Amino acid sequence: MEDRKTEQRLKDEAKALLEQGKVDYIIGFEPGSLKFTTTPLITKDKDSVARLVINPFIVNNLSVYLNEIKGRAGIVVKGCDSRSIVSLIQDNQVKREDIVILGVPCSGIIDLSKVERLVGKDRDELGDITRDGDKVVVTVGGEKKAFSTSEILFDNCLGCDLPIPQEYDILLDESSPLVTDKAASNKGIETLKGMTRERRWDFWREKFSHCIRCYACRNICPACFCERCFVEESEPQWIAPVPRWQDNLIFQVIRNIHVAGRCTDCGECERTCPVNIPLRSLAKEMYNIVDDLYHFKAGMDKEAAPLMTHYEAADPEDFIK
Amino acid sequence: MKQESEWEPKLLGFLCRWCSYAGADLAGASRKKYPANIRIIKLPCSGRVDPLFILKALRLGFDGVLVSGCHPGDCHYQTGNYHARRRMAITMRFLEYVGVEPQRIQASWVSASEGGKFTEVVTEVTKGLKEISPNQLFADGR
Repeated sequence: MEDRKTEQRLKDEAKALLEQGKVDYIIGFEPGSLKFTTTPLITKDKDSVARLVINPFIVNNLSVYLNEIKGRAGIVVKGCDSRSIVSLIQDNQVKREDIVILGVPCSGIIDLSKVERLVGKDRDELGDITRDGDKVVVTVGGEKKAFSTSEILFDNCLGCDLPIPQEYDILLDESSPLVTDKAASNKGIETLKGMTRERRWDFWREKFSHCIRCYACRNICPACFCERCFVEESEPQWIAPVPRWQDNLIFQVIRNIHVAGRCTDCGECERTCPVNIPLRSLAKEMYNIVDDLYHFKAGMDKEAAPLMTHYEAADPEDFIK
Repeated sequence: MKQESEWEPKLLGFLCRWCSYAGADLAGASRKKYPANIRIIKLPCSGRVDPLFILKALRLGFDGVLVSGCHPGDCHYQTGNYHARRRMAITMRFLEYVGVEPQRIQASWVSASEGGKFTEVVTEVTKGLKEISPNQLFADGR
């Protein structure tokens, strides 16, 4: 992915869409206030589209904003984000004709905390981070250090089979040199599966004792679109609103059951968590379960019925007495 | 096992009112004996069972949950049990991954004429629960 060329094309396309009145809003990324970060840009202004960027740090799944936007929107998406949009279309949450999808073939997103850990320096002390094929070159104090992408990309990117957007109106680039590393991607889940059942429960109990129930995971998730969440129901009150580990764990288990067949393994829940609960180890396992049981991957076909509103007479039932 | 023979597990049953509840009724009417460990909640359909019910039951201290409905094709509402089947499948697999003993969550198809099968299922599930320890999953000082 040649970021400069793609970026220029994005700016041109976005400007044209606004000028021709094809969309009311553009949803994309602009440089963040901190080094190497990006932040969502939602604009009606055709001059502001000059701020749009495409780089290996466009981390957010912007499809979460589609529900809140009144009007037509042009949206920048990576592979996983495009599947979130398809999933929203399947669930009648957005209309396909109301959005113009600007697809970016994704070559994986760089996990800054992994870079910091590898280099042993804070992000402010780093000179530059650039992609070079299957290597990532980090410049520290004038010195260049090359790392393989499997050391640097987010875990969910390393397990990604579908970096090219599934659904788009404009594809900003053709190629996607994403090199995956399934072993590195699945390390969290495999470690848990290697534990005894009691150890796994204790692991999650400990993790969820840190949860402050900020609901960031729920709010950032495009698949979590209920207007009224079960955690806020009071008749009956399913779980207490105060963060107790028991209720935190029930919240997250049910949340994962609710998004089964909608989760595209974009990894946003884990990234947004302020207390670093490895939420992707829950989400990805549910992703694997529905794939294993029903050969279903979220967001692949906008005509298909959503997984849990649908059934087959021949669904597996060997677990039923 | 000596101590545990004193302990009787509490099993919560969610039964559909058309098949499994009638099956339980028939078991009683036919003077068949099944363990008194089960506490039954009658629901219109096994498709009414929200995974939240299961989690809530475990949180309240029930040792196990049994969800039972009509055989595939027999649902009074045509498709409720098929939806329940998908929901139970992902819930059971997921909870086992999180760390809940698989014996605690069970599902069965029992028709209104299967009083005998109902006693067998409850006996078997209760036996499975006696083999594992009391539900301490959500206890605080574990």
